[in-house]
Amino acid sequence: MPVWVDPEKCNGCHGASQPPCLRMCPGDLIVKDHTANKAYLKYPEDCWDCLPCVKVCPEEAIEFHLSYQFGGKGAKLIPHIHKSHDQISWELIDTQGNSETFTIRTKLMPVALDEKVEGGTQTLDFSI
Amino acid sequence: MERKIIETDILIIGGGTAGCMAAVEAKERYPQLNVTILEKAHIDRSGCLAGGMNAINAYLNKGETPESFVRYVRSDSCGLIREDLVKTMSELFEYCVKKVEKWGLPILCDDQGNYLPRGRWNIKINGESLKPILAKSARSAGAQVYNWINVTNLLMEGDRVAGAVGFSLRNGTFYVVKAKATIIATGGAAGLYRPNNPGDASHKTWYCPYNTGAGYAMGIRAGAEMTSFEMRYVALRTKDTIAPTGTIALGVKAPQVNAKGEQFMKTRYAHLGGDGAPTPYRTYGPLMEIKEGRGPVYLDTRGLTAEQVRELKAAYLDMYPSMVLYWAANNIDPSKEPIEVQTTEPYIVGGHCQAGYWVDGDRRTTVKGLYAAGDVAGGAPYKFVSGCWAEGVIAARAAGADIANMPPITVSEEQIAAEEARAFEAIKRPGKVRYPILPTDMEARLQKLLEQYAGGASTYYEMNEEMLQIARQRLAKFPADFNHLVANDLHQLMKVHEIMDRVDVAQTLVEHLLHRRETRWPSYQTRTDYPERDDVNWLKFVNSRRDPKTGNIQVLTRPYEQVIPGDRYKP
Repeated sequence: MPVWVDPEKCNGCHGASQPPCLRMCPGDLIVKDHTANKAYLKYPEDCWDCLPCVKVCPEEAIEFHLSYQFGGKGAKLIPHIHKSHDQISWELIDTQGNSETFTIRTKLMPVALDEKVEGGTQTLDFSI
Repeated sequence: MERKIIETDILIIGGGTAGCMAAVEAKERYPQLNVTILEKAHIDRSGCLAGGMNAINAYLNKGETPESFVRYVRSDSCGLIREDLVKTMSELFEYCVKKVEKWGLPILCDDQGNYLPRGRWNIKINGESLKPILAKSARSAGAQVYNWINVTNLLMEGDRVAGAVGFSLRNGTFYVVKAKATIIATGGAAGLYRPNNPGDASHKTWYCPYNTGAGYAMGIRAGAEMTSFEMRYVALRTKDTIAPTGTIALGVKAPQVNAKGEQFMKTRYAHLGGDGAPTPYRTYGPLMEIKEGRGPVYLDTRGLTAEQVRELKAAYLDMYPSMVLYWAANNIDPSKEPIEVQTTEPYIVGGHCQAGYWVDGDRRTTVKGLYAAGDVAGGAPYKFVSGCWAEGVIAARAAGADIANMPPITVSEEQIAAEEARAFEAIKRPGKVRYPILPTDMEARLQKLLEQYAGGASTYYEMNEEMLQIARQRLAKFPADFNHLVANDLHQLMKVHEIMDRVDVAQTLVEHLLHRRETRWPSYQTRTDYPERDDVNWLKFVNSRRDPKTGNIQVLTRPYEQVIPGDRYKP
């Protein structure tokens, strides 16, 4: 599973209907369980590993996992967004626990916690 | 179904690299016009640029000119390109790059403020947020953006394109957009061939897996002329993670070596330029090493300094972070061991190769009212990001000028009702068909078929007449099964349309592969029965048009025209 939403850390973006992770996935693969108030990757097999969801999560609740077939667990890569929005620090931890940080210039656009969807988000019943 | 009717002047299908730039140009140049973008995902992070970019790979560095660029691209594409198109896009690189820099894209500069070149045509950027930067500019310019709309077909008014229809992935509303001009910018097609990686990594592909050829398919169904589908793209990438090799090859000048440590490009392909041989040969070379038993193949990074390795990792973080995690997870130190490379599954993409709509100099397609820009437009390879921007600009300028004084569009209710029925058929089918077919089932069948009979990775991308005839015959059976496709929700309905689109693209692709009886681009298009390049008979474009009434695909050829003098095989 390429990315994983940690249910302990995910707060559902305070009841947002369309939280940032869900909006920023180019494959529309993340959904929100509104009962549990948590987001999760519904279609892991369709993930491209592109990471907008990881970078955009205000709680840093989404972990980047390498598919097990590529080497799997043991190392970590965590992006930290600077409050100034013009830098991103990537924390890399190898299998021995050594860490290395890369701070890179960028131009992050502020992302709202929720966004209204034209026409609403009701699920349609097509069986009738 | 709820309907939403929108009347607009310029409709842009696909809010990606080309689409965002087209929207900005249209609003800046023609502020009185309404510009509407229909986007399948969310425009902030959709398509190829979702993860970011670490370089602009088509740029005229100091001393270069549109003419020198055309000469290079011509030789890199084995002597056959639309030189007029490549020239006009290169004339706008500076305009586009400067614009995006002004919007906030960090471009790396030296002490004097000059852009830092990475190779002859490349400059380094910190483009992690390139897509949100473009999206914000499109919105700020005044384009109306509708996210999560899966466009299913073009609307026609007689023989003219009059907009498009689609459905909302959030609520199933049927969108009818009537437009005086329609710019198609949906990108190319991934997912035609069996993916290299199985299971949860099957979408770990080079090309954006959500670009599923919708723009090609809609044009094919509307009878637009297509060109050069046979020039598929097969990328040379790092093993498993499919990260770009240019970051290493150009960034730290690492040569390709085989298992014996031999720099085979320098020895076996010296006559073509060695490590600088045309791009198809840089895929073909390592492929032959592996086929002939001298693999694996690597980029030799041994001996890099610690500082260089750090730079390499930083460059990948702007674009392919999984490369950095992969090295950490597998204890790989690029300064101590070389980086293994592999070839990808084939894609149809007009931005690296030249599969796409046959367009005129203003990016008008052969169907009135329809313009094409970016990966979906044909004839102009080596676009990458900046060439897609340039084509967005050119298409927007032409579209705006063409529709001055045009009366409003009328579309028959009959056509809208038929398209609405087509859009939602599959979601009404569960429980009503005895043999339901899931979109993933049809995807598996299509990918296996093309993999085995139309030059997939398992046959080293090679093919012959007999194999392609089998592919043609078996593909012909697919459309009858469309009536069995089922979708249980709106996400699956999108996947139903994606697979139907890919079948349409695949049928056109196979006709093109059958027609070109030479091998012009080894590995992209290797015909074992016609293994040589044949300039006497095949220095021309293979084009096709599917008759909208009969469904028959007619293949034709168009002449190559040399615009820039010189040896076509020399950069």
